[in-house]
Amino acid sequence: MGAASEYFNNIKEAVLSIFEGMAVTGSHFMRKPYTVQYPDRTETRVQDTLPFRYRGILEVDLEICTGCLACERACPIDCIVITAEKDQKTKVMTLLQFDIDIIKCMYCGLCSEPCPTGSIHHTTEFEGADYSTESMIRRFVKDPVLAYKPSKGPETNPQILPILNRGLNYLSEYQVSGEPKPGSKPEPAPPATTPET
Amino acid sequence: MTTLRTEEMTLNMGPQHPSTHGVLRFIVRADGEVMREAIPDVGYLHRSIEKIAEKVGYHGFMPYTDRVDYVCAMFTNQGWGMASEKLGKIEVPKRGEYCRVIAAEFNRLASHLLSVGTMAMDIGAITPFTHALREREMINDLIEELCGARLTFNYMRIGGVAFDLPPGWREKALAYLDHLEPILSEYDMLISFNKIYVERLANVGVITAEEAIDYNLVGPNLRACGIKWDIRKDIPYSVYPDFDFDVPVGTGQWGKLGDSMDRYMVRIHEMVQSVKILRQALKQIPAGPVLAKVPRNFKPPAGECQIRVESARGDMGWYAVSDGSGYPWRVHVRTGSFAAMGIVQKLSRGLMIADLVTIIASLDVIAPEIDR
Amino acid sequence: MQQLVDSIIAGGAFGKNPPHDLIYVLFIFIFSAVVFLGVAFPFAGIVSWAERRVWARIQSRVGPNRVGPQGFVQWLADGVKNCCKEDIIPTDADAPLFKMAPYLVMLAFVVPWAVMPFSQDLILADLNVGILYFTSVTALTVVGVLMAGWASNDKWSLIGGIRSAAQIVSYEIPAGLSIFPVVLITGTLSMQGIIKAQGWSPNHWFMFSNPFCFIAANILFISALAEGNRTPFDLPEAESELVAGFATEYSGMRYLFFFMAEWGNLFLIGALITTLFLGGWQFPRITDNRILINILQLVTFNAKVLFIVFFSMWIRATLPRVRIDQLMSLCWKYFVPISFVDMIGTAIWVAIWPYGNPVAGWILFALGVVGLVLFMRRVIYYFRQSKMELYLNPTI
Repeated sequence: MGAASEYFNNIKEAVLSIFEGMAVTGSHFMRKPYTVQYPDRTETRVQDTLPFRYRGILEVDLEICTGCLACERACPIDCIVITAEKDQKTKVMTLLQFDIDIIKCMYCGLCSEPCPTGSIHHTTEFEGADYSTESMIRRFVKDPVLAYKPSKGPETNPQILPILNRGLNYLSEYQVSGEPKPGSKPEPAPPATTPET
Repeated sequence: MTTLRTEEMTLNMGPQHPSTHGVLRFIVRADGEVMREAIPDVGYLHRSIEKIAEKVGYHGFMPYTDRVDYVCAMFTNQGWGMASEKLGKIEVPKRGEYCRVIAAEFNRLASHLLSVGTMAMDIGAITPFTHALREREMINDLIEELCGARLTFNYMRIGGVAFDLPPGWREKALAYLDHLEPILSEYDMLISFNKIYVERLANVGVITAEEAIDYNLVGPNLRACGIKWDIRKDIPYSVYPDFDFDVPVGTGQWGKLGDSMDRYMVRIHEMVQSVKILRQALKQIPAGPVLAKVPRNFKPPAGECQIRVESARGDMGWYAVSDGSGYPWRVHVRTGSFAAMGIVQKLSRGLMIADLVTIIASLDVIAPEIDR
Repeated sequence: MQQLVDSIIAGGAFGKNPPHDLIYVLFIFIFSAVVFLGVAFPFAGIVSWAERRVWARIQSRVGPNRVGPQGFVQWLADGVKNCCKEDIIPTDADAPLFKMAPYLVMLAFVVPWAVMPFSQDLILADLNVGILYFTSVTALTVVGVLMAGWASNDKWSLIGGIRSAAQIVSYEIPAGLSIFPVVLITGTLSMQGIIKAQGWSPNHWFMFSNPFCFIAANILFISALAEGNRTPFDLPEAESELVAGFATEYSGMRYLFFFMAEWGNLFLIGALITTLFLGGWQFPRITDNRILINILQLVTFNAKVLFIVFFSMWIRATLPRVRIDQLMSLCWKYFVPISFVDMIGTAIWVAIWPYGNPVAGWILFALGVVGLVLFMRRVIYYFRQSKMELYLNPTI
């Protein structure tokens, strides 16, 4: 009788488990799909919904670049090429070339950390596909420009101030070694109704 | 009567295949439907990552560690961070360790979801894959807010982590954990207890405990054979001793101990335990800095160190040798998938071709981890 | 259809002494073109679109919804794309067999449409061996699949083809045996005859007429799924093992022929179950207008068939694949004995109650309703547990 009961048990288990599985997928019919229909059927542009820390394509604000070459040294894949000349007499730094090859870039964020002003930063832009590799080298210096010299007190130039503020805001997301981020106290624990497993 | 010579076919389950998890090749000697042997051929994804470490230095190697195993990148980051810290004798602040554990456990959830989903898809059920990926997308969204990237995170640095928890993130993380628990039980109803699934997985690819230890299996593959070995409990690192969680072990209730069903169920139970750890971590996280002071040109003293991290695929070993300069002398990664490939050849004898796919899926083999 | 042609001839449309045979041939061409080209092929295409949309909702995503309104033209676009592809025939493949295989499989799908009972008058040929014709022609798939597997000169295709042949031939037996209970009750093999022996209300359907027929209906459905290479029995074309099984080496339109045959087979499966067990086109006689009645019956028939098609898609999305040896053991150890028991049980039932037992009809129908209610309760339980919002709109 053991074989016969196993036989009918198999049939019963098969029918019941398939029944349950169909009920689960049946309940999925009535749920809203999770898809975001990019790029044309979203409410806002996807780039605007991404968080501030998102590591998209790199961008340089040349107005606040000091020419310290810290980002070029930090990049592990050598995708940043900077040529800067320091005039020995006037001690003025001029930027001649600032190329970022976004094909080589691995979007790690190691270049934005050491920047003193936050001029090199990741944007939320991710649509960079193109047909040629030459167009992927972003050349940020069109004509030679002077590097930025950070002033001793707060910045006074009204054109540079918003850009500097944005750069410093971006930098403040990163951690400074050894110092706690201001206000890094965790929020109070959620109310006791959450099951404590 | 002369004996009939049945020709044995040599099939090639080539590097391009919908179901080998990555670029793997198997040379299958089959007698009709039943296999004589399936010989793995690895190396298609070798990128000399260990050699690259010698060129880019300690800080610069962190993004490369993401690519060693891109599905659970937080663990590789943590391994390299811990190796460099041990060489340079740096201590990570408490909040940094908590952030590391939170990120790592979320990544364990994501990796197990992916593994379970692809296993279901290889068996033939296509819906659990999309459901698992939907849950994984939500984890990706959380981590995107935390560190800016969705797959190759580069979240940890030598001495801690790069970003602190953004305001409001804890609420979102706890809400996600509340959302995930009923989904896991729904998963059980949809596939784990489904008779066809059980028939496909039970008693297939049985690994005994002695074999598992002989072949160097780690992680869920080892625990499914009944051996309770978890680096988080047995060689504790970071702040794992602060948390209270279980280590799920295979029980053999669906078939023999150590079959594919056990490996699958161990992963599902590990996800439940990860949720438990996460709730505790999110509640207990202290205030303070998250990154220790590490010089920009980091030059650890000459020496060597060995680190073991319990990644989603098992015990990941990191071995680093320093010669006093800013560039490591040698870095070596030992991953769980490499050992799992070794046992596939032995397991495949006498099974059917359909079972080969089941074994590869249940061992949770990820190709970049094998070849680095 | 023959009566329609006869009435046209008698109406004098072809002159005094028309050559009957030639006119029959002409109308056979016209009606076949309408049914095959106008209904069968577009249905196969539309089912591919519908299947993708249905799967997508089950999988929490949206299916094709860009090409045309709600993505409806997607199947046409797929067809055009496949026609534009390069026709690759492997070097050492057996070219004549390679080319002929898709056509044989297509033939096995197209020809049974000749006996589809769409309504009481709309049937292309009311053969008095309708069901037998149906099952025997659909078995041609085996030849086509074996040819495809062998002629591809590819070991994986060969494995897929042999698996498929074994599967289809094995599952012919429970399918055939499950048809016998109905034949025993009605005493006729013709499709229209079987439908006319049923009534329009569910307790007069053969599925609920006795418990053996209920089980036979389920076994017929599962065996028909297995014959059509649908999951959970789609091992021959198992995507995760053999890429596309016996159809791996095919590209372009030849590849699409195999899959059009599979999708179109869904309708045939649905029609088989509807005709035999679900009452076919039966509709309450509410009017005497012949055209109106035919239209209502057509709608009823299509609704029932499309429900079964939807159910097959639902099953395919939910269940994993059965391994070949488990498939064979399922067929020979479970289905064949149960089908024999059904046949003998129905024979005994018909001997006791030759005109059917209405009480049994009501009881089984009530049991069916109870099962459906339990199912809906489980569905609502899972829905509530996941705490997602209700969204019933199919268009997104």
